[in-house]
Amino acid sequence: MGREVLKVENLKMWYKTKMGYVRAVDGISFSLKEGESLGIVGESGCGKTSVSMTILRLLPENAEFKEGHIFFDDGNGPIDLVSLPEDEMRKYRWKGISMIFQAAMNSLNPVYRVGDQIVEAMLNHFPEMSIDEAREKVAWLFQLVGLDPKRMDQYPHQYSGGMKQRAIIAMALSCDPKLIIADEPTTALDVIVQDRILKEMKKIQQKLNMAMIYISHDIAVIAEVSDKIAVMYAGKFVEFADSVTIFKKPKHPYTYGLMHAFPSVVGPKTELTTIPGEPPNLLNPPKGCRFAPRCPLATDECWEKEPEYREIEPGHWIACHHPLEAGKEVKFDEK
Amino acid sequence: MKNDEIVLRIENLKKLFPAERKMFGKVKLFVHAVDGVSYEIRKGESLALVGESGCGKTTTGKILVGLYEPTSGRVIIEGEDVTPYLFENQKRAEQYLKEQYLNKFKDPSNIDDDFDREMYELYEKLGKSDAKFMDHFLKNRKRKMIEIRRKVQMIFQDPYESLNPRMTIFDIVAEPLNIHDIGTAKEREEKVAALLEEVGLTPAETFMFRFPHELSGGQRQRVAIARALILNPSFVVADEPTSMLDVSIRTGIMKLMMRLAQEHGMSYLYITHDLAVARYMANKIVVMYLGKIVEMGEIEEVLHHPLHPYTKALLAAIPVPDPEYNRGEPEIKGSVAKPINPPPRCRFYDRCPIATKECENLPHPNLVEVSKDHWVACHVVVGNVKK
Repeated sequence: MGREVLKVENLKMWYKTKMGYVRAVDGISFSLKEGESLGIVGESGCGKTSVSMTILRLLPENAEFKEGHIFFDDGNGPIDLVSLPEDEMRKYRWKGISMIFQAAMNSLNPVYRVGDQIVEAMLNHFPEMSIDEAREKVAWLFQLVGLDPKRMDQYPHQYSGGMKQRAIIAMALSCDPKLIIADEPTTALDVIVQDRILKEMKKIQQKLNMAMIYISHDIAVIAEVSDKIAVMYAGKFVEFADSVTIFKKPKHPYTYGLMHAFPSVVGPKTELTTIPGEPPNLLNPPKGCRFAPRCPLATDECWEKEPEYREIEPGHWIACHHPLEAGKEVKFDEK
Repeated sequence: MKNDEIVLRIENLKKLFPAERKMFGKVKLFVHAVDGVSYEIRKGESLALVGESGCGKTTTGKILVGLYEPTSGRVIIEGEDVTPYLFENQKRAEQYLKEQYLNKFKDPSNIDDDFDREMYELYEKLGKSDAKFMDHFLKNRKRKMIEIRRKVQMIFQDPYESLNPRMTIFDIVAEPLNIHDIGTAKEREEKVAALLEEVGLTPAETFMFRFPHELSGGQRQRVAIARALILNPSFVVADEPTSMLDVSIRTGIMKLMMRLAQEHGMSYLYITHDLAVARYMANKIVVMYLGKIVEMGEIEEVLHHPLHPYTKALLAAIPVPDPEYNRGEPEIKGSVAKPINPPPRCRFYDRCPIATKECENLPHPNLVEVSKDHWVACHVVVGNVKK
């Protein structure tokens, strides 16, 4: 496969609050190649959105970047985004890395024509481009995402939810990014529309050979679109592997629990797993393994010592003192 | 009596919302949110109402708990016609009784329905007097309206919005008891404590005097469940109660709801867009599309042998948590339109992959029982028209 587009090393970003630091992103490392898609799955509050915001440096005022490196390569050699001043960083945003936000369809400006909004974004990044060129490209993008180019001159209220989401995807693609981060891109949509958008995105990603990061709480959605999956829990990656391995041979008890907590419409009706308790407060995370309080396999070691995030098989990373053996069941204590 | 086994029966329920505002003249455009829906829930059964947003599933639920008035139709709960109590206005209730019963009773040979026959017996017992019959329903109407609300409770989607932030957990759960004036202060406290333990908020004393903001989403939803159950309702309308919760919390709530249904002998009308969740929460399913039922029946049967093209498309569109599973392409065209004064033909016609020329001119198909307890509304599937 191609070159590494993104390489994140030991990323730490904490939020400062009156009560102390919330460790939203607490030591995350991964890399992503051209044409690859990575799914980050986790529950709300686990820090998955904060990871993407840190990469793009779109952080609120109380966020404090602690340490780590974000190497981004748009074809001119890797650059550490962390070392760039804000006005340099701005050049990479949208042009190098673009993002599809959660509920992005509400981010279209209601009083401008949809096409004009995309043209405006493009002219900002390519000042030498003429309006006609830009419009031509938008028409092409509309076709790419499955919208009628005639709709360029319509206003957002004339679009349905799914169409708005397509327009947002067209906008994200408008400056030829090398990497797109999609944060819950289909959460607000109905299943049939969701299905179409996901397939469209996957097709475009492969056609343009882009790298893609999907962020979602829905394992089923992640399974559809990602080559690799990272499972995030309480500010850390607990497991990382290709998607088939994650689904067929999960090694972390949390991953196992998540997989078995999802009802499915196909196959036999199986018993669903409940993971007892709730995710820890990141103001004051447990000393040892952050999943220990909810883990049925936790030993004294787990409570005391934080497990190291290590590669146990080629391409399969895990942070757990007691990785599961293949085919073994985990019994969660249900209350 | 056969009717005793039926917890809820809805007949030809309709709800139209005006789609335009007019200062003068009659409103002519209506959104047909629920358009002639009939189904029943038997004792010990739970029914899942599924469909995309805008199909009328929530509207149906809201009519049952009295948040919307029906435009027409009949609602029977535990063998009692409660429709007169769903109207705020007494005139509407009188009009309903006249149209539903009294006009028919003038000529008893018209009666073709078991329930109507029962009502006719009551009418005879009251000396065939229209006034007495009316009075039977309308006397103490206010009290009966409250009584109905005791039998039907609702759990809402968003536990962050459905609990009053200024009340303690105890006050929230005990409020229905206060309203219906049940028990002494001490009994109420005991009942609330017992129920909180039952929904997994243990020990109850540590939760009772906290406020909603001190609880997590899952715990709040447990409080909402306790509040719904405290009056021992016959059935609970649950409107997407788990869709706002995290995965690891969600199964806990689903299992809790299933256990409580069994222990309390209670039924759910489970409203959801998620067929996979529906499969775990109900044994019957009703699939709605733009205010109409397109398919219904025993849930495993419908999910494994879907007949209606819409059900098939829905099933094919659901992501499966298995990267190696290939679920194929959902066959459906276009997108959902608003049912504003829809043409009389099949509601699904514009999006249907198997529609024929004849479908365009035929009225919307009726539900037909194609195999035991499996109903479908499609001209092509039931063979009204040739493929």
